[in-house]
Amino acid sequence: MQRTSALVAISLAAGLAPRAAAPAEPAIPVRVRVIKGSRQGPPAIDPRLEYLRGHLGKLAWQRWEQVSEEGREMRFRRPERFALPAGESLELTLEDARRDTVTFRVRLPARQAQSRLTISKDQRIVHQITDEKGGEALFATVRPWP
Amino acid sequence: MSRECLGFAPMLSARPGELGAADEEALRRHLAGCDACQARLADGAAAAGLVAEGLLAAAARVDLAPLADEVMARVGRRGLAGALRWLARHRAVAAATALAPAALALGLVLYFGGEADVAPLAGEVEVVAEGFAPVVLTGEEGPVVLLGEAAEGS
Repeated sequence: MQRTSALVAISLAAGLAPRAAAPAEPAIPVRVRVIKGSRQGPPAIDPRLEYLRGHLGKLAWQRWEQVSEEGREMRFRRPERFALPAGESLELTLEDARRDTVTFRVRLPARQAQSRLTISKDQRIVHQITDEKGGEALFATVRPWP
Repeated sequence: MSRECLGFAPMLSARPGELGAADEEALRRHLAGCDACQARLADGAAAAGLVAEGLLAAAARVDLAPLADEVMARVGRRGLAGALRWLARHRAVAAATALAPAALALGLVLYFGGEADVAPLAGEVEVVAEGFAPVVLTGEEGPVVLLGEAAEGS
């Protein structure tokens, strides 16, 4: 019977060993910016948003400025909540990260909306977060490894 | 038997292809000039033929038809009790045999963690929203999700 126990223990150890040796899940730095798009005034882009020109240039809003900016270290499947103007919030979850891609879930609890987006590591996400009022709307941008 | 014949004697019983090319050529040359070795070779071939015939005849005399019935009868006599006795005498082997597939399966589950390991592709976008119709623009820089128009009735 001792031999049986030893065999079972060896089998379990063989199964567990690779897991035990696996490194801890790394954190991925993510920068979230809240930006405001406006249809009024001359076309302009806040210099801090220059890297988003390709994104923003194809939208109807022509004047862009940054409202807030926050960086977080995100871990897998741990939702991070970001405060938005007017008391709303945005919940961001890192769902998957591969060699070339990363997948986020973006939730807007107040609007009962959520998106699951996979981007390559050099891409950014732009997500509208408020309805347009008076020609203005707020957006969130998500940038991993800023 | 001459010393030369003694050297070639072991080669007389070689199977086709067993000798190297040089040995085969040397044996052929020796046989061409040695009546005694030719006679030994003929005797060996005749003996081998007799043995083969004898074995075939002996095998033909054996009736294998009832073999399956006899085996099944023996299994029936030993039955479950016999199997249990064997297991009682070899507990460790029996337990290891029974547990090995389960341990292997457990190891695989622990190793792979049950992940559906299908890598998502860049550009994959899935939007779920209530009360409005989102619009997704995709491009090289990444996706843009617009809230879109409010759905009717909301």
